[in-house]
Amino acid sequence: MSGKRKVSREAILGILVVAFMAFLALTSNFDSKSGIYSMMLDVSPSIVGAIAMSMVIITGNIDISAGTILGFVAFAAGSLAELGAPAWIFIPAGILMGICLAGLNGWISVTFKVPSIVVTLAMNMVHLGFYATFLPNAGWVENLKDNFTWLGRGRFFDLVPYIFVIALLVAVLFMYIMKNTSFGKSLYAVGGNRQAAIYAGINPDRTVIKVYLVEGLLLGVAGILKATTANEIMPSAFQGREMIFISAAVVGGVSILGGGGKVLGAVFGAFLVYLLSIAMIYLGFQDYFQFSLQGIIVLIAVFVTVTDFTELRKKLRGTFTRAGRARKARA
Amino acid sequence: MSDKARASRRPRITYQVALGGLLVALILLFGAIEPVFFYPDVLFDVTSIVGEIGIMALAMTFIITTSGIDLSVGFILQLSAISFGAVFAGTGNLALAVSAAMVAGILCGFLNGLIISGTKIPPLVTTLATMSLFRGLSMILAGVNSFSGFPEGFKKISTTLLFGVVPIQFIYLIVLFLVFNLVYTRGRLGRHLKGIGFNENALIFSGIKTKRILLLIYTLSGFMAALASMVYLGRLSSAKTSMGNDLNLQVITAVVLGGTSIVGGIGSMSGTLIGVLIIGVLRKGFTLLNLSGNVFNFTLGLILIVALVIFAVLERRKALAGRTQPAAKT
Repeated sequence: MSGKRKVSREAILGILVVAFMAFLALTSNFDSKSGIYSMMLDVSPSIVGAIAMSMVIITGNIDISAGTILGFVAFAAGSLAELGAPAWIFIPAGILMGICLAGLNGWISVTFKVPSIVVTLAMNMVHLGFYATFLPNAGWVENLKDNFTWLGRGRFFDLVPYIFVIALLVAVLFMYIMKNTSFGKSLYAVGGNRQAAIYAGINPDRTVIKVYLVEGLLLGVAGILKATTANEIMPSAFQGREMIFISAAVVGGVSILGGGGKVLGAVFGAFLVYLLSIAMIYLGFQDYFQFSLQGIIVLIAVFVTVTDFTELRKKLRGTFTRAGRARKARA
Repeated sequence: MSDKARASRRPRITYQVALGGLLVALILLFGAIEPVFFYPDVLFDVTSIVGEIGIMALAMTFIITTSGIDLSVGFILQLSAISFGAVFAGTGNLALAVSAAMVAGILCGFLNGLIISGTKIPPLVTTLATMSLFRGLSMILAGVNSFSGFPEGFKKISTTLLFGVVPIQFIYLIVLFLVFNLVYTRGRLGRHLKGIGFNENALIFSGIKTKRILLLIYTLSGFMAALASMVYLGRLSSAKTSMGNDLNLQVITAVVLGGTSIVGGIGSMSGTLIGVLIIGVLRKGFTLLNLSGNVFNFTLGLILIVALVIFAVLERRKALAGRTQPAAKT
């Protein structure tokens, strides 16, 4: 923002991620092969989901139902694979599922001018109820076979999972899209200043619907990446993933007010959120501390991105010394 | 002026009347399927199962009118209940336990209010984050335990039946509704709330301390959630970390269904009361028809979306007719 800043926020985040990993490696057995492998396995869906969520947040919207959309994607892809469908059927089917559901969110929000937070909050509930009420066996898919799990289990050089490579490719692709295409720029324009975007010839409503469609596509990918690593699929277990995506996005510097943030930041954010949760486990905290930690992380990260620090410094200047307070009282 | 005011109020009244009609229609529908629904004790039981939702929805109407939202109320309720249970299990002192629950609720609400009024973080993100925070806190406090064995005198606060049929929650709800409605429609605070929803800057420029008002109403919401937790506990008789999980959405649905605009500035306390009763009728009806809680949640989500859409369409029609200002931009 200010001209003084030379090092970009993303570079700092990157250094933080590396430092964190080094710290974990020195203090625990994180640097073992299985530690690295499970990190790559766990962080891949989060990377794709965080990119999806970032794009939505950049336009000034949000999607609380992202987690439950993943559940539908996993169910669609998993049950098709159970019927014996090959990858070129179940992957597009899962992605289509994501596009439809996220697109519905965007369409309702835009057409009826209802804030996306409330629409997606309600959708979250609708999805959860739908699993239990209408899906056979509440959407459980058990006994996933090799025709499905090869994607999640397969690895290059016996170390790097396929899905991690896919996630990185998606990240690179979307870094390019957000930086160099008119679609990417229009997201920042709509989120930053809607009126100005209209004057620049951008149709904000259409842009928002588009971003939800793209979000759905990415959620489809994320859902398949996550589902193929598991032995069984329980759709309702995906609820709550949206908080991981939102945390990753805001930790990565995406402004919750819209109009600011980078894909690379969201990628590092996904790493940081994972590393923090791992650190908590190594430090011996119980599982449920994670909830509180997640809340606090989101609050701090949002506070840092939203606050104008030069203004805050001006306001706070002299508050902590007696002379300063006296000067303030005089002024 | 009075003509104009009446004209601008007319569509709002018809909306609430239509809502009342829906309530009656739902009761008739469930009664036709399951005649036991018409028995006075069954019908009045509706108000006992929505006691806690109603109490929270009143404060939520204040918040949504200012174009804010509080997603954390369900978990404030949970944390209050767990605090009550933990203190009661530790000391056996009822008064101490009740005050612990109240303090927990007020502190949670105060934290929300402090963040929302003091920083630029939007209410939805703040309360989304504090929702996780409070949930984690109550899990840390309770572990895997659940607390029960509360004295009979305590249970009376929500199991008492007046005249043998009217649950005491009905009285709580009506009394609190009258107070909130008075503040909302006649009080200065109510006018300020609608002003914040329409245009906060205009209020700031007229010298009104909007931040203080926001701090007040989010703290109030926490306090009401603590009250609701007491009413809830009296009925459930055990405090555990699963309670209150899906209450957020029911509270918000009641308020939005009642005709309070989610973008702020417009609202109706009586609409909220009818919304709460509709949710109660649905829940009771679904229980009588042996439908699961999942079906109820599914229906509730659909109702919320439909209510949002209907209200948005009505608002737009009103705005097109030029009778009122279009609702404030989000």
